[in-house]
Amino acid sequence: MFGWMGTILRVNLTDGTIKKEPLNKNDACLYLGGRGLGTKIMMDEVDPQVDPLSPENKLIFMTGPLTGTAAACPGRYEVISKAPLTGSIGASNSGGHFGPELKYAGYDGIIFEGKAEKPVYLSINNDEVSLKSAVSLWGKTVFETTDELLKATSEDARVTCIGPAGEKLVKFATVMNDKHRAAGRSGLGAVMGSKNLKAVVVRGTKSIQVANPEEFIKACWDARRKLKAHPVTGTGLGAYGTEILVNILNQSGALPTRNWQESSFEHADETSGETLAAKYLVRNKGCFGCSIGCGRVTRIPDGPFKGFGEGPEYEAGWSLGADCGVRDLAAICKANFICNELGFDPITMGSTIACAMEMYEKGILAKEELGRDLNFGDAEGIVEFTRLTGLREGFGDKMAEGSFRLASMYGHPELSMTVKKQEMPAYDGRGVQGMGLEYATSNRGGCHVRGYLTSPEILGIPQKLDPLVTTDKAMWLKIFQDLTAVVDSANICLFSTFAIGLPEISSMLRTALGWDCTDEEILKIGERIWNLEKLFNLKAGFTKADDRLPDRLLKEQVKKGPAKGKVVELDVMLTEYYALRGWDTEGIPTDEKLKELSL
Amino acid sequence: MPVVKLPAACIFVHLSVGVMFMKVMFFAYIRDYTGTKETYYQHCQTLKELLEKLSDQYGEKFRAKIFQGENLGPEIIILVNGRHVEHLAGLATKLNEYDEISIFPVVAGG
Repeated sequence: MFGWMGTILRVNLTDGTIKKEPLNKNDACLYLGGRGLGTKIMMDEVDPQVDPLSPENKLIFMTGPLTGTAAACPGRYEVISKAPLTGSIGASNSGGHFGPELKYAGYDGIIFEGKAEKPVYLSINNDEVSLKSAVSLWGKTVFETTDELLKATSEDARVTCIGPAGEKLVKFATVMNDKHRAAGRSGLGAVMGSKNLKAVVVRGTKSIQVANPEEFIKACWDARRKLKAHPVTGTGLGAYGTEILVNILNQSGALPTRNWQESSFEHADETSGETLAAKYLVRNKGCFGCSIGCGRVTRIPDGPFKGFGEGPEYEAGWSLGADCGVRDLAAICKANFICNELGFDPITMGSTIACAMEMYEKGILAKEELGRDLNFGDAEGIVEFTRLTGLREGFGDKMAEGSFRLASMYGHPELSMTVKKQEMPAYDGRGVQGMGLEYATSNRGGCHVRGYLTSPEILGIPQKLDPLVTTDKAMWLKIFQDLTAVVDSANICLFSTFAIGLPEISSMLRTALGWDCTDEEILKIGERIWNLEKLFNLKAGFTKADDRLPDRLLKEQVKKGPAKGKVVELDVMLTEYYALRGWDTEGIPTDEKLKELSL
Repeated sequence: MPVVKLPAACIFVHLSVGVMFMKVMFFAYIRDYTGTKETYYQHCQTLKELLEKLSDQYGEKFRAKIFQGENLGPEIIILVNGRHVEHLAGLATKLNEYDEISIFPVVAGG
C-alpha cells in the first residue's frame, strides 16, 4: 500500500494478546485514516451506548496517510474513543513526533481493547511488540514517565502516556506525547487510565512508500512554499504563537470574560502573545516536519509561579486568564505547566474554575467547602485548584468532573459554559455568530477546531465575513467541518490551512496514495466522516436538544463593544445548517444522504 | 503602564476647549515599527487621513504594511471600535472623536 503502512495492531489488555491485522483497504479509501478510520472502527466494534470508562469501550490511536511523510506539517495522529466528558464520539489529535514514529515502526494504528489487571505499557520496536509492567510508573507525572521509558528503551524512541490525572479518571484527562503535546479534549486520557494503560513507547526505522514520489514531492514543495510565504504561517505564528489571538478577539468584543459574563477583558494585553514573547518565551518549537513553529517553550524565571515548560496556547491562556479574570501571565503559564505535567486539558480546567468562581461570587459555593476564597482574578487560586484537580484532591475532586457536572451538583447547570458537557473555548459566539453555530453542531461538544469560522469571521482568511450576521454561516461551516475532517484524517496540522486549502491537500493525497479523484471527491470523504460521527452520537442517545448553546449565549445580550446587544441567533442558522447537510428538521441524516455517502 | 506618546499633531489640541482625541492601538510586530503600543491622536475625518499621518510619523516600513498603492495592504487588519473596516467603509470610514482604532498584522491561531 502507498501512504499507509498496511498494518493495524490490536492489543487486548484483558488477556494480553497482540495481533497484527491488515488495514482494511476499502475502509481506508472511504475514511482516509486518523479521525475518519478511527470513528469507522468505533462504529463497527463498539456499542455507542457503552460506558466510556468500561472495558467494553475501545481506545484507538490512528495515523493518516500523510503522517510522517514530506507533506506540509505531517506530525499528527488521532486518538479516538467514546469520550468520558461528553458521552459522544471523542476524537482528539496531537502533533509532536509520536505519530510519525508509529508509522516508521510499521503500523497505521493501534486498537486497545479490554482492561489490564495491573498497569502496563505497550513497547513497540519495529516488529517486536509487547506489553510490559507499568506498576513502577503508576503515579508518575507525564515528564517522569517519558524520561523513564526513554531511559529504559532508547533516547530515539517516542512516548505517549497519561499522567496522574488520567490514572485518577479526571473527566478531561489528556493523552500526552513527547512530554508537551496533547490529544487534549474530551477526556481520552481517562479512557487510557480506565484500561490501566500507562503508556506506549515506540521506535521505528522503516520508511513510508508513496505512489508517485516525483509528483508527491512537487505537491509538498508547493504546499510548503505557500506556508513559508504566508504572513501567518511564515511569520506570525512562529513569532507569537497562538496567544497572538488574545488582543484581536478582545478588540473585536469576542473574548469571553469571567465565565462569559462579559465579552472583553480590560487586562487582555497582559496575557497576550506579545507579552508572552516579551517576558517568558525561551524559543519557539515545531512538531515533526513543521515549518510553522507555533509551539512556545516558556520559562517563569522566579517568583511564586517559577517554572519551565511549554505553552500556553491561546485557548488555554484564555480559559485560565480572561475567563477567570486573571491578568497574571506567570500564573497562567504555571497552571498550564501543571496541566501538561499531570496530563489534563487546560481549556476545560480554566473554564471549570471560572464556573466555580461565578458560583462562589453568587453564594452557591461556600468558602468552607472550597477551603479558601475563589473570586475572579485570583491568580493563586487558578494554580492551586489546577493542581488539586489533576490529583483529585480536596475540592479538586469535584472540579475533576468538569464544569457541567460541577454546576449540576449544586443545581445550577446554566452556569456551565458547555455544549454536550464540553467547555466552549475562547470565542464568544455572540460576537462571532458562525462560531456559535460551530459550537452547537460540533460532534465532540464545545470545540473550536471542528470548523474554525473565526478564520473568515475575524481574521479574514480565506476571505472576510461579517462576524455579526448569520448570512451564509451555515454554508461556510459545512465546508469547514468537512475539510477539517479531511485534514484530521490525512493527519496534517490544521494550521496549514491558513495558507493552503483543499486543492493543495488533495494534490498531496492523490500523489501519495496513487488516487485518481477530484478535489470534490476528497471533500466528500470529509462529509462522510462528519455524518458517521453524527450517526455514532445519535446511537449514543444524542438528539437535536443537544445541538444547543448555554442560555447565556442565547438570552443574555453582550453589554458593550461591537457586539453590544447581540445574542447567538442559533435557531435560524441551525435550520439552514440541517437543510444544507441533508438532514431532517430533527438533525437526523436522511436515507438519501446516507445512501449518497455510502453509509 | 503602556507607553503613551502624544505626537506633534496633538499640539493643535486645546485641552481648554475640549479634547478631540482618538486612540490608536498597535499590535504584534506593528509595535516594532511604532515603538509604542498605543497613541492618542488628533481627530481625523477619515481612516485614510489618519493612516497617512501615522505613516508620515512612523516611516516607510509602517507605510508599506498599511498601504498597497491607494488601497489597504493585504497583510493588515484594522478595526474601528472593534469593527473590521471591511464592514464599514474601508479607507473612507468616517472617524469620530473618541474612536478607538486597532491596527494588527494578519494574525491567526487557534
